[in-house]
This record gives sequence, C-alpha cells and structure tokens, in this order.
Amino acid sequence: MPSMPEPRRAVVIEDDPDIRGLLVRILVKQGFEVTQAEAGLPGVEEVRRAKPDLVTLDLNLPDLDGLEVCKLLREFSDAFIVMLTARADELNKLTGLDNGADDYISKPFSPRELQSRINALFRRRQPSAVDTAVASELERATEVQLSLLPQEDVRVDGYDVAGVFRPSRSVGGDFYDWYRTPEGLHLTFADAMGKGMGAALIAATVRAVMRSTGQRQDLDSAFASASKTIAADLDSSNSFVTLFHARLDAASGVVSYVDAGHGLALHITAEGLAHRLPSGGPPVGAWAGSAWPQSAIVLSPGDSLVVVSDGVLDVFDSVEQFTEAVLAAGHGQVSAQSACDAIMALAPAETAEDDVTVVVVGRLPEPAAA
Amino acid sequence: MEFSYEVKDSYAEVKADGRLNMVSAPKLREFVTDVIAGGSSRIVVNLENTAFMDSSGLGALIGCLKAARQAGGDLRIAGVQPQVKMVLELTSMDRVLTAYASAEEAFSND
Repeated sequence: MPSMPEPRRAVVIEDDPDIRGLLVRILVKQGFEVTQAEAGLPGVEEVRRAKPDLVTLDLNLPDLDGLEVCKLLREFSDAFIVMLTARADELNKLTGLDNGADDYISKPFSPRELQSRINALFRRRQPSAVDTAVASELERATEVQLSLLPQEDVRVDGYDVAGVFRPSRSVGGDFYDWYRTPEGLHLTFADAMGKGMGAALIAATVRAVMRSTGQRQDLDSAFASASKTIAADLDSSNSFVTLFHARLDAASGVVSYVDAGHGLALHITAEGLAHRLPSGGPPVGAWAGSAWPQSAIVLSPGDSLVVVSDGVLDVFDSVEQFTEAVLAAGHGQVSAQSACDAIMALAPAETAEDDVTVVVVGRLPEPAAA
Repeated sequence: MEFSYEVKDSYAEVKADGRLNMVSAPKLREFVTDVIAGGSSRIVVNLENTAFMDSSGLGALIGCLKAARQAGGDLRIAGVQPQVKMVLELTSMDRVLTAYASAEEAFSND
C-alpha cells in the first residue's frame, strides 16, 4: 500500500492581517498546511510546535525584530526561512549578511514570485535521515545552549569580568549573557527548569527577552516587563526559570540587581568576606502574581560579584558550606578568569550531574598612590 | 520514587519516598492529580523520606499546588528535609509552599 506523503507545513509570521491572509492563501494553494502568528514570540512558539518546513517572517514585528526572531528560530529549526520586508533598500543590506534566512522578498510581492522562490528553495533541499533526529537532539540542545553564551569578552574600565560554562551530558538550562552599556554592564544569569532541548529553548527565549528590555532605563520596569513576557511563554509548558539580572554602574561600583529564585550570587569583599544575596522572589513563571524587588550592592575596589549555578551547590550539604567554599576558591585570585576556574573546579566534571556556570565581575583594586 | 496516599479526616496525605527529580516529578504530578480527581483537594505531601529534590521536583510541587487550589483546596508540605528546605529557601518558594513539621499539623488550624 503506498503511503501518503506527509504534507508540507508552513508558518506565517506577519502582523499585517491582510498580508498574512494573502500569504496563507498562496501557501495553501501550494499544498502547505499553514498556521500563523501575528508577532515574533508567538511565532517562535508556533514554529516550535508545528515543526514546519517553511517559515515566512516579516522583518518589522510588534514585539521582536525579525532578525532576532530568525536567530531564535535557527537555534532549533532547520525550516526554510523567507524574510519579507517592506523596504526595498533594506534588501541589499540583508542579503549581504548571514542572518540565517534562506531568501528575502520585498513587499509588495507578486504571488507568482513568492511561489517560484519557494519552489526553488525546496528543490535545493537535501534529503535527511529521520532517525538521526532523536539521536542528535542532545547534541543540538548543547549547541543551542552554547550559542546563548557571549561570544566575546566584555571590557569595562576598572573591572575584570569573566564567565565559564560547562554543560552536563543531559543538558541543563543554564546560560549567562552580558553586554556593555554606556554606564557599565548588563549581566543576565539564568537556569531553566528541567533538562534537554526543552530547557535549552526556554533559555534561548529568556535571553532574547532580557536583551530586548535592555534599552529601558529603569531596572524595575524592565524586569517587570521581561518577566511578564517570559511567564506568558512558560505558562503552557509548566516550567520556570531562575533569573539573576544585574546592572553595573562602573563609575560608582553600584550593582543594581533583581533575583528571581536564584539565590546563589555572592558579594565578596576585598577583605575576604562573603555576603550571599538572597533571592527577592520565586523563579519567573513559577507563581502568578510574584513581584521582585530591586536591590543593590556597592563594589568597592578589590570587591567582586560572583554568580554561581546550582550545579556547584549540589556538591555541598548546605548553603553555608557552599558560600565558604566559593569564597575560599574565588578570593585573592589574580584574575576574574582564574577565580571562575577555581570555583568551577569545586564541582568535578566526573561527578557533576548538572551544568556548571560561574560569572565573576571584579572591581580592580585602586593602584597605590604614587 | 514510591508514592502512597491515605485519606484522613480533613485531608489526604501523600507520601513521596526517594528522590524527587526529572524522572519522578511527572509521576508525582500524576499521582496527586489522581488523588484530587478522587475528591480530596486538601493535600499534605509528606516529604520526610524525600532526601533530594531538583528543579523539576519543585516544578511538580508547584503544579500540584495549583491543581489543589483550582479544585478549591490547598496543598501543604510536611517533614521537609534539609536539602529540600534549602531549595525552597533559595528559590523563595518557601513563601508559597508552606512547610509544616508533620502532616497532622498541616491542616490543624483550619
């Protein structure tokens, strides 16, 4: 008995209802099973759910930039992505970049042009083995996770900043992210519940959302808005994420932070004292109606902020023992990098069941007066 | 991990013995959901023999709490051991999941 070929699936991500309707009609006519989303984050969810062969993606979406959406999709989907832009002048710029998209079309487009472009894409498609998908899932989850880490060191005058990450075999949901701001630095440190691709994908969403709120001046409103978006995204998966987000004002040494259920950040002083920063509220997505107060510490010269994942905590019987051990390993090191390495070594690779992540933001000691 | 339950006067006591991790968490969820569906929405999860809980385990407890409240009841935990207590405190979930020394005390005041 001949088996029916699986129908090809497509997802249309487009905020303009008329264009969305048109795209759906064209694709249905071409034999696709089509679903749609009117914004970036719901679009990512829909692609995750529908596992389509083709995605059409508008460049200007109400929530996330189309390029950011494309990057997110590429972290787990190998669907053909066709980007649509209303501005013809953007087209040259886009095609010259490796954005992860397979083709670009400017609006207005003719249905025939779209059809022939799509046909051309599918002619190029390589045959893929079905069975390797499952076998490579963990490998891909690790790739997703690694892709979330900062690709470059960050330099802030008067500070030494480093981070290390060691994925576990089963892939936890850890990641950290940082970037320069005019005032100093933004740092995000997160751990998604569970393991495997699910945790890695949640981490990817959290990273994108936190980055998208970085423009907001006010930490409270930035975090409130980000946590709302993340929680909405997590609701369907019954999952949550612990999140430590900090903003450094380099000149004053003030670190403003919000801690949602992490609780494993330490302020280590130049004198060798460790103060643990307790979490301000539950993990994001864990409990509706949660609020997270903002707190602050001041890094004096020689002080450091050390953020550690629970993969290190697992080695110890109590938080007190953990704090002492991190202090002993991290204090008095020659650099932030060597402090990170020493703290990571507390959780030996052979026995660690979870990811291990450490970030150190050290304020350099003031040079001795001449 | 092994589960058992016993219906008492004003609540149902669920015992979860072993390690509450990614493997056992969905089973606890299923087990408690069944107890709630069976008509008991006031649940005490007795954790005196739960030596370890990871984030998935915490997720399961939260899910069970939501289910119990949804059904007009509540879920409380008892006999919490040090590692589980530590996870609850670090994550500030001790503000949501109220811990009692014993299962008998959990619903004794209401």
